[in-house]
Amino acid sequence: MRNVVIHDPTLRDGQHAVRHQLGAVALRRYAQAADAARIPVVEVGHGNGLGASSLQVGQAAVSDDEMLSTVREALRHSRMGVFMLPGWGTSDDLRRAIGHGADVVRIGVHATETSLAERHLDVLRGAGAEAHCVLMMSHMASPGELAEHAARAVGYGAQAVGIMDSAGHFLPDDVTERIAAIAAAVDTPVIFHGHDNLGMAVANSVAAAQAGARIIDGCARGFGAGAGNTQLEVLVPVLERSGFATGIDLYALLDAADLAERELMPAPPVTASMSIVSGLAGVFSGFKHRVVELSGRAGVDARDVFFELGRRQAIAGQEDLIVDVVAELSARRATT
Amino acid sequence: MSLTADVADADAGVVEPATVAVIGTGAIGQDLISKIHRSPLLDCRLVAGRNPDSAGLRHAERFGCPVTADGIDAVLAAATPFDVVFDATNAASHLHHWSLLEPLGTLVVDLTPSRAGRMVVPTVTGVGATTGRNINLISCGGQASIPVAHALAARFPVSYLEVVSTVASDVAGRGTRLNLDEYVATTAHAITTFSGVPDVKAILNISPAVPPATFRTAVHARIPGADVAAVRAAVDPVAERVRSFAPGYVVTACTVADDRVTVALQVTAHSDVLPRYAGNLDIINSAAILVAEQHAARLGRTARTEAAR
Repeated sequence: MRNVVIHDPTLRDGQHAVRHQLGAVALRRYAQAADAARIPVVEVGHGNGLGASSLQVGQAAVSDDEMLSTVREALRHSRMGVFMLPGWGTSDDLRRAIGHGADVVRIGVHATETSLAERHLDVLRGAGAEAHCVLMMSHMASPGELAEHAARAVGYGAQAVGIMDSAGHFLPDDVTERIAAIAAAVDTPVIFHGHDNLGMAVANSVAAAQAGARIIDGCARGFGAGAGNTQLEVLVPVLERSGFATGIDLYALLDAADLAERELMPAPPVTASMSIVSGLAGVFSGFKHRVVELSGRAGVDARDVFFELGRRQAIAGQEDLIVDVVAELSARRATT
Repeated sequence: MSLTADVADADAGVVEPATVAVIGTGAIGQDLISKIHRSPLLDCRLVAGRNPDSAGLRHAERFGCPVTADGIDAVLAAATPFDVVFDATNAASHLHHWSLLEPLGTLVVDLTPSRAGRMVVPTVTGVGATTGRNINLISCGGQASIPVAHALAARFPVSYLEVVSTVASDVAGRGTRLNLDEYVATTAHAITTFSGVPDVKAILNISPAVPPATFRTAVHARIPGADVAAVRAAVDPVAERVRSFAPGYVVTACTVADDRVTVALQVTAHSDVLPRYAGNLDIINSAAILVAEQHAARLGRTARTEAAR
């Protein structure tokens, strides 16, 4: 058996599904359950990470400080993870998170913009936390480009590097090719973070592990943006059957997932029609609420909005573009 | 009063152009050089970089500017101090440069998000009677958003302001990439300063889209009881004023949903060397040139007054 490290962003990526409204009690209860299941890393924060509470994406119910101190207190065995997008959060946010006891710090950048992480990976050198760099919206880059950018991130100090399928666009062969290219280019552990827009997240994650990924992300009940992330309590036993050891207690994991369904979400994510469209269009899953809301107000087809956003290559964080696209489609319809 | 009145006046009387140096040869520096070249009031006497082989120095040579790879040292070594020094390096370097340039009496126009000098947004602060010799242009997102933020806060009870800018990847140079923290802090500080709204946030996205995305800035505001027509009426005249020096500045969308107002702005570049989408560089550089030209006009007027005595 080869080992893989399961990284659980339920309390971070799941925030997208509930407009960043998870409260302290929910955070504590899930963190305790994840800790009991021996999940190695429990990530917490606003959906877009440290310092990202905003009108652009959604204002969080709980401050970063409160989220981190709540989860820290709940963890006995698991390490605490945080996420930050340069241009959204800053080095001050990183230092505060480390002050709160963050053990794993991920810097997220668009797949071909690794140089945006240079400064923050440098800040993390010797800061006492494990520094990761994740390349988001990775379907927008070729395997060669991803390998080149992953190597660059390692040069900046990343101790693990990998890709997020932020739009849930990949099929397993896409993942195999990309993870293999990255694993050949770097000596650090390689990360894979899936989304389930096309029902491929577990299969993609297994493909990633088989191609050499050593850190795999999964969320309880798939709680996450759009159609959700890779469903953690499915992922773990499937990886074990495929020959990868996770060190996670299955029953306690299933209990944590049941608790998540009861206490974190109004309903588990489903592969709703709009999420299939965003996956096909290659648009960040987290855009869903705002696209549906603004399309509804303007009376345009939200599916057209997603495909137009995909055509414009909107990246994660560009939610403000939705207003323009909706206005343009609305005007176009009025003239035809 | 028009922002360019003094300049037009000075232009009419034949005045000696102000002597100018540019430190930094990245994207900002290169566009500045072309804008200085176009200005009858500014004479580019030195472009200072640090790499003798940089594309920026070759670019400066094509515009006929003397160049050096000795950076700030070459600027300090000039026999007569320059009237104006543009600092197009990075926030940390600017603090060092300013400490060296301050004793010389030069007007320093800082294009980094250093937060060190007096902040100027032409349509809000004016560019005329500057107190201080270190002028800070905040950031591209600051230059685009603050005229609108200021207008909204003057007219409505704004409880929160947020500014989200998107810059095309190939016009976000290394300085910008390393200064994201300063960008966020300085832009937020400036928005609070000029709007009076304490609760603000600044965000910067860098987009690698092909073809490149035109520079855009969304100003989100929480305004109870906002009305879209009133917001438009507040914002449109401001955009018109900004166009007097940055002609590519347009309001692309104005929406109100409950108490949430979004004004989307786009800036295209009108420049000899920049692609159309590089409005981020065009708006901050156009503001910087305006500051320098006003200074040159004042120097010219002083010289004429003294000559008449």
